[in-house]
Amino acid sequence: MDDESTPPPPPDEHAPPPPPPQTHTGSPTDFLKGVVGKRVIVRLTSGVDYCGVLQCLDGYMNIALEQTEEHVNGAITNRYGDAFIRGNNVLYISAAEAI
Amino acid sequence: MEPSSIQEPFDLIRLSLSERVFVKLRGDRELTGILHAYDGHMNLIMSDVEETIMLVEGDQPGVAPTVNVAKRKLDMLFVRGDGVILVSPPSRT
Repeated sequence: MDDESTPPPPPDEHAPPPPPPQTHTGSPTDFLKGVVGKRVIVRLTSGVDYCGVLQCLDGYMNIALEQTEEHVNGAITNRYGDAFIRGNNVLYISAAEAI
Repeated sequence: MEPSSIQEPFDLIRLSLSERVFVKLRGDRELTGILHAYDGHMNLIMSDVEETIMLVEGDQPGVAPTVNVAKRKLDMLFVRGDGVILVSPPSRT
């Protein structure tokens, strides 16, 4: 009886949800291939950040960086022309410029 | 100028053999010394090494921590690879 009192919502009241913004798709490996030669931020599990140009990396996630700055708590604490980072210490690799 | 012979990270270490390198270790320790050998674990053989040990005291909040630095010299050293965080060759700039 009273069920009939609430009309169904009119169609097309709401536009369909906008499509999600275009994002990069691909596997983690595709990402890593894409950032070789680009500036990256490597964060270690200790919280130290290394900003530099990613020369190369391997399956252990050992990393070779050049023009590297070491950041601790936001302050630059060291600079290295080249740096090898042992992969077990890596927390993440962030792209610091457009891929 | 830029050595394009680096295809994998270990190439950076290979190019540093017989050179003085900087090594950052777990436990707030740093080494500088001549690199003689390494392997896939990053076990290192170094000579003429100076070890720098940072001892941070007073890490209570609100208190500026004091960092005491201890140094010592070691003629010949084997470094177990799992302690290694970073290896940096002498700057080639």
